[in-house]
Amino acid sequence: MITFEGAAKLYPDGTVAVDDLNLTVETGQTTVFVGPSGSGKTTSLRMVNRMVEPTGGTVLIDGEDVRRRDPAELRRSIGYVIQQAGLFPHRTVRDNIATVPLLLGWGRARARARAAELMELVGLEPSQAKRYPHQLSGGQQQRVGVARALAADPPILLMDEPFSAVDPVVRAGLQDELLRLQRELRKTIVFVTHDIDEAVRLGDRIAVFRPGGRLAQYDGPERLLAEPCDAFVESFVGYDRGVRRLSFFPARELSLREDVVFEDATGADRAAEAVRDKNEPWALVVSADRLPLGWAGAAQLDRAPAGTALGALDLASYGHTFNVATDSLRAALDAAVLSPAGRAVGVDTDGRVVGVVSQEDLGTALWSVTA
Amino acid sequence: MVGDRVISDSWDWIVRVTDWGVTNWSHPGEPDRGILPRLLQHMRLSYLSILLGLAVALPMGLACARWKRLYPPVLTGVNVLYAVPSIALFFLMLPYTGFSDWTAIVPLALYTLVILLPNVVDGLRQVPDHVRQAAVAMGFGQLRRLVQVEVPVAVPVIIAGLRVASVATISMVSVASLVGLGGLGQLILSDGFRRQFDAPIVVGIVLTVVLALVTDAVLVLAQRLLTPWSRRGGGGPSRADRAAAVPSGTAATVGGPRTADTAGTSSPGGEAIESGSGSTGEKERTWRS
Ligand SMILES: Nc1ncnc2c1ncn2[C@@H]1O[C@H](COP(=O)(O)OP(=O)(O)OP(=O)(O)O)[C@@H](O)[C@H]1O
Ligand SMILES: [Mg+2]
Repeated sequence: MITFEGAAKLYPDGTVAVDDLNLTVETGQTTVFVGPSGSGKTTSLRMVNRMVEPTGGTVLIDGEDVRRRDPAELRRSIGYVIQQAGLFPHRTVRDNIATVPLLLGWGRARARARAAELMELVGLEPSQAKRYPHQLSGGQQQRVGVARALAADPPILLMDEPFSAVDPVVRAGLQDELLRLQRELRKTIVFVTHDIDEAVRLGDRIAVFRPGGRLAQYDGPERLLAEPCDAFVESFVGYDRGVRRLSFFPARELSLREDVVFEDATGADRAAEAVRDKNEPWALVVSADRLPLGWAGAAQLDRAPAGTALGALDLASYGHTFNVATDSLRAALDAAVLSPAGRAVGVDTDGRVVGVVSQEDLGTALWSVTA
Repeated sequence: MVGDRVISDSWDWIVRVTDWGVTNWSHPGEPDRGILPRLLQHMRLSYLSILLGLAVALPMGLACARWKRLYPPVLTGVNVLYAVPSIALFFLMLPYTGFSDWTAIVPLALYTLVILLPNVVDGLRQVPDHVRQAAVAMGFGQLRRLVQVEVPVAVPVIIAGLRVASVATISMVSVASLVGLGGLGQLILSDGFRRQFDAPIVVGIVLTVVLALVTDAVLVLAQRLLTPWSRRGGGGPSRADRAAAVPSGTAATVGGPRTADTAGTSSPGGEAIESGSGSTGEKERTWRS
């Protein structure tokens, strides 16, 4: 547990970087510091490992004032990852990762064995062990940075915008990886970012900083999106916070329709009749093993010559699907909005169609869960 | 044919010079006479000067990188020293060192500073800020950080400086023949110039150039071995080629544009360039302790 008690940092030039910060970071959780540039996130983070000394208040780790610890020794017990990874260009990947174990006097063989273990943990190939940092991609460098921070198995991990220098696709991959690692390792993580989406994705708790180094709100992500405490936080979390909040509700609670789903061998006339009865404008055509093929419109079904099978029709693309078991309402809504039929196709983990949901049905569901 | 005559004349000349070189290579029983002892003296004088220069430039550069305000006056001092004609410095040394090797070594070592000091400082400055901060955050103490991170990362830039300094020094040693030292320079001055005889001059020049080339090659090799991580590997076009063009006594041209030049040619990677601007302009963070 990390506790900021009235922590403040006033620079000699008069800049107030952090102003009276009171906040508790729970053990084993990911706490995200988010806020505009210059709002004191990095400064607050660095108070934890004494790279910044507060000019007021205290920072405690498990109740002990960090100022009572020797800085170098304290830092070896806290992992630290920064934006450009900060890898040592003159050391191989393996030796970069082994840095802290070597500082702790583990001996080369044991440190290298540990490095190999960590490379596997963060998804690096063993063949990359003897490469130098400049021979890696940005995403791989960040993985090495994370591995290096974890090498001595520190209970605390400080991460300062670790993923902001890589492209969005790689970033999403690294975020997934971090979530997986965290489920496994249960470290106390303090993660700094500019990006509210990243914060919502990774954080168990989110601290929003406002300019002037003040804490604006400290809450769980769902609560933060639902109830921003003031206009600043509201504008910071963005006007689409309502949609974003849907990520916290699982799609599995939606009731999906199966009666408008037909196999491609079915006759068009039969489908036309069924659809007309239910007053539905679209029918979803699936293959014999229930993989989605596309949408057929009611008018198209009516026009089809007698005896035509659904599979022979010119179908509208089904767009992208959502996974009923694992996706959120946000993914379902997204799939519905992008579908030419205005309906989202729900599939199981094997990609087989479970059912479809219309925008209207989604709206009702959203209303009931978010209200 | 005129062409044939030119060729045969040149050939005769080459044979004559080579003959002279071979007969005078060394005189058994007279260890002070001959070309070989002078070549060895030349090597001794230049290598010791460079090593002494490096031994002074390293701590000086570390201090200048650490206390930034120290650097401008120190650099000015070193540049001014460089402006003092070498011959004057040699004579000024005589009362203290007599006709010993040190009469040549001390001034030559001082001259190397004009090249080595800025390279050491630039080398340390181009260590990317994020690398330095990562080292602090990992729990390196100040000394360890210097020895294990900052100096190793600065090595390519320092070696680039060594290459320029060694070629410059090897060419300058000859001037010390005016005070009775000077290795191969003595061939040129006493055997050649005074006796109006071209063979010693030619041999002196050729051996000096060969010595410079070999020394440079050794340094390139050393860089390859010491910094396998450096993208350029030390093989790129370097300022050593231009070193011969650095005339002694033109302190202004040496002191001025070098900073940018060095960072550009010998930085170990793209990051270095980025941090070059970062480390000079940006606010300083409090990660010192
Ligand atoms: N050494 C320093 N001297 C003076 N002011 C500083 C120093 N370091 C940081 N600051 C100032 O303190 C404030 C907070 O900086 P900090 O780096 O903590 O912000 P941040 O929230 O991490 O911003 P960013 O998102 O841009 O990284 C800024 O106004 C910054 O300019
Ligand atoms: Mg920051």
